[in-house]
Amino acid sequence: MSAQSSLALKEEGNRHFQRGDYVAAEALYTKAIIADPTNPLLYTNRAMARLKMTRWDSVIEDCEECLRLSSLTTASSSSSSSACPYVAGQKNTGKNFKALYYLSQAHLPLKNYDQAVSYALQAHKICAETHDKSLAAVTSQVLKCKKERWEHREKLRRREEQELEGEVVELLRKDMEGLLKSNEEDEEERKEMEKLCEEKIERVKQIFEKAREKDQRRRENPPDWAIDDISFQVMVDPVMTKTGKSYERASIEEHLRRSETDPLTRTPLTIKDLVPNIDLKHACEEFLEENGWAGDW
Amino acid sequence: MPVQFAAKRLGKELSKIQNGLPPGIELVSADNLEEWFLDIKVLDNNPLYLNETYRLKFRFSQSYPIEPPEVVFVKQADRPIPIHPHIYSNGIICLDLLGQQGWSPVQSVESVCMSLQSMLTGNTKNERPPGDEEFVRGNKQRPKDIEFYYHDNTV
Repeated sequence: MSAQSSLALKEEGNRHFQRGDYVAAEALYTKAIIADPTNPLLYTNRAMARLKMTRWDSVIEDCEECLRLSSLTTASSSSSSSACPYVAGQKNTGKNFKALYYLSQAHLPLKNYDQAVSYALQAHKICAETHDKSLAAVTSQVLKCKKERWEHREKLRRREEQELEGEVVELLRKDMEGLLKSNEEDEEERKEMEKLCEEKIERVKQIFEKAREKDQRRRENPPDWAIDDISFQVMVDPVMTKTGKSYERASIEEHLRRSETDPLTRTPLTIKDLVPNIDLKHACEEFLEENGWAGDW
Repeated sequence: MPVQFAAKRLGKELSKIQNGLPPGIELVSADNLEEWFLDIKVLDNNPLYLNETYRLKFRFSQSYPIEPPEVVFVKQADRPIPIHPHIYSNGIICLDLLGQQGWSPVQSVESVCMSLQSMLTGNTKNERPPGDEEFVRGNKQRPKDIEFYYHDNTV
């Protein structure tokens, strides 16, 4: 079997994929890989079909194999006297972002939150550098991963707090029982002790309840400075126009592809005029770290 | 991977709208992310629009807000089409802001409603655009495909 028949199999797989027959597409991509196991692009195609089939573990295997093969070809093409190493390298990174993006999508349902965030950010970096049209989708993936990671952490934190509340209440009760045992004669005093202790327990419960309410109240609208005026999402990679106004990179680039004008002033503006806003980026990251719910509010 | 701004952005606009709109603007229905209806009123005492409510229909494409929404007035028993030299009697609006050139993705449903409110507020002419009858009779195009000639950008 040859690379040529492999590509024909891939094309056929693509046709099935387009039609939504992911099982048939996956089988054809597998045949294509058997015919040519060294082509990294075949693995991301199969990963794409396996994502649809929610076979997360095998998505991860395919993407990792793709990345491994791509790094081999990049290394060999840069060492050999390739006619156009720049183009070869760019093609590889172009495909690598897909492997990274799929890795993020597969790790998320497996609850590997840190990996999901990390791969989404790596994919985002490549897309931003190459001005890829998938930037918006990858940006949403970053927010989604950060949100789900935050929700997971919050769940753990809330559970811990609930346990702590239970423990504190139990300690107070034990303390009371001890005191009551040491004072078995004076009925008046015993009643007074019991009352004081119940009050303390009530107070502790109130304090925990207040903290929970505060958590809920925090989840109102995110601050305007963190929000991109085009997508209305918290910014992942804010870039500034000549007017000093910042937008999400994916949003403003999408707008500029349609119309090379500043959204506010309508004066000429091109992608090259955009400048990263590092401080705002850090502020948004920090905000999301504390308020992950805003990743998709 | 298609760009899917519209669903998320509209979801967020809707939740903002449900928390309140400026005076004279009311959400009628937003049952899906393709077509919304809003009512607007002119708040000052402009006699042309006194005590009237007008119904707007917004239609969004998949690429909203990169592409403008299609916005028209719709006629109902108690909802006339406001008289204005830039509004045809079939509800089609000739407004720079809603055209392919004049639109900006930082505009929103709310800001469009406010622009239309102020477009009515500032008007003193009790007339339709020139050639209204002919246009309304002959037009089969969608509003977004019509190349309007913005003969008066001050309105």
